[in-house]
Amino acid sequence: MSMLTQSTPHNPVQQTASQQVKTAFTYIGLVLVSLVLLFPLFFALSIALQGQTIAPRLIPDLGSLDFSVFGTVLVQQPDLVRWIINSFVVSSLVTIGVLFTSALAAYAFSYLEFWGKQVFFVIILGTLMIPFEATIIPNFLLILHLNWNDSYQGLVVPFLASGFGIFLLRQYFLSIPRELQEAAKLDGCGHLRYLWSFILPLARPALATVALYTFLSTWNQFYWPLLVTDSSQWRTTQIGITIFHSNEVQILNTQMAATLIILIPTLLPLIFGQRQLIRGLTAGILK
Amino acid sequence: MEQSSHVHYQNVDLTSSESMAVEDLSVEVDRRASKSGNTLNKKLREFALALLFLCPALAVFALFSYYPFFRAIFLSFNITNELGDPVKFVGLRYYQQILDFSDPQNEYLRSLLTSCAFALMVVAAEIICGLGMASLAMAKVRGIGVFRLIFTISIAISMASSSVIWSLIYDPTTNVTNWLINLLNLSQPGVLNNAETALACVAVMTVWSGLGFNFVITLAGMQAIPDELYESAALDGAGGWNKFRYITIPQLTPILLFLLVINTIQSFQAFTQFNVLMNGPGPNSATNVFVFAIFRSFWIDHRYGFASAMSIILFIILLILSAMQFFVVGRRIYYR
Repeated sequence: MSMLTQSTPHNPVQQTASQQVKTAFTYIGLVLVSLVLLFPLFFALSIALQGQTIAPRLIPDLGSLDFSVFGTVLVQQPDLVRWIINSFVVSSLVTIGVLFTSALAAYAFSYLEFWGKQVFFVIILGTLMIPFEATIIPNFLLILHLNWNDSYQGLVVPFLASGFGIFLLRQYFLSIPRELQEAAKLDGCGHLRYLWSFILPLARPALATVALYTFLSTWNQFYWPLLVTDSSQWRTTQIGITIFHSNEVQILNTQMAATLIILIPTLLPLIFGQRQLIRGLTAGILK
Repeated sequence: MEQSSHVHYQNVDLTSSESMAVEDLSVEVDRRASKSGNTLNKKLREFALALLFLCPALAVFALFSYYPFFRAIFLSFNITNELGDPVKFVGLRYYQQILDFSDPQNEYLRSLLTSCAFALMVVAAEIICGLGMASLAMAKVRGIGVFRLIFTISIAISMASSSVIWSLIYDPTTNVTNWLINLLNLSQPGVLNNAETALACVAVMTVWSGLGFNFVITLAGMQAIPDELYESAALDGAGGWNKFRYITIPQLTPILLFLLVINTIQSFQAFTQFNVLMNGPGPNSATNVFVFAIFRSFWIDHRYGFASAMSIILFIILLILSAMQFFVVGRRIYYR
């Protein structure tokens, strides 16, 4: 064995040289891929800063960048702020609602023994097999019937429970030692209090995962808000930006400025909370 | 008994909570009940409590998942009016019409094929590029964190925003894709106006948008592979490619399988990019994917029953896809 490891005939100087070449190639690869991936963002920024032109260039004239476009777009489309507020309100309400319904249901599945537990669990997991597209027509008709179009409840209520959230929280709750519950019970702690003061604080990482996932996916929703919002003031950012795009086809710089403004609320959390975000995304996939 | 409950009360006083004392009493009652063998009562109470805990989630699921799902199945057997109410039962006629293989002009079958072609392009490219990026990002060099962040960035960009940006990239006035038009000798300006390139262009945009997620998952999977495997392979004289082929790929199989499933399902469900980039069925219906065809038939044509039949077919396809990938592909991997 030791013969094998020692038999590599490289001398140290040569090895560092080849190592350096390898590192250089790695950097070249990393930079090239980064440039390709960032290109759409550079492109958007470049178009936004070129002023109102019908023949934009790929690389703008760096001497005459027009930063006022970010102000102009807010004047031109005052609803932009409203869309962002709508998205925040809707995503926050859905997130809080999902945490509430999921924590309660997950608690029942992990700490209560009751008749039909398996059946109920299958019912919950079954919702994961029903794609959104299979329910969208009756759901849309139902919202119209309830007169919930152009309202927060129409955007929020259908998403207030999540099979994924219940499943993930249940897995986490089950990993909390049983002895804790017995001890708490001896101290006269009921189920609701046990859930609130012991389980939820302990399950903070899992709650954060569910919250992050729910918030982002609600924020990014497109199909449903497209169906249930009509007037400009009830649109969410995703619908607003695409309608703005199709209304102002010729005016490229404000389109891109509006798009970039709308990117900020999701880009900043990624840059500053990358680790949590990635943990959230990979949860449940990797053990 | 008296004494033990007294001790309890002292404990409770330490935390000074009245509601705890009340719950303490109920626990006491509980114990007495079980002692007297009255377990049925306890079971009933536990069931009622469980129902109480489950009812918020169950109510939402019943109203917005199960009811609309069964309602869609019901509507798919009926002709509907403008309000979406059934007016005439037609049985399986809509299904026969959509899946009519004898008609070579069947636009719905063609739309299904378009969805398949789109999924094939997107899934293959996403997984291969994700693997490549993750392998690059495994390098232990200075500043790798910044590169990993850049590789992840498309996660934070919603499909709607990236669709708007990419629609300008593909716009002939911005001159970004003109080299491509010259290269391919296309007659018209605008790659999205050409039936031969439109679907591929939407696919490229979709891949860009999905790469962040694929990269993150693949990287996490690669980081979970134990170093010892690579070390012992190095001892056996394995080079970089062989390590990748015989260690990385087999170890990553569960992750890649997961990505295969989720990417395929997502590409079959892709809607946003088609709505924003194409805003219609595309040149010669080249980008009329199945989900978009459903959207048009209920949103524009108000054919709720017919669109429901299409959406149930989509549901069955997605169900078969995930079952097939989990069971058939999964078994081959574990039993090899």
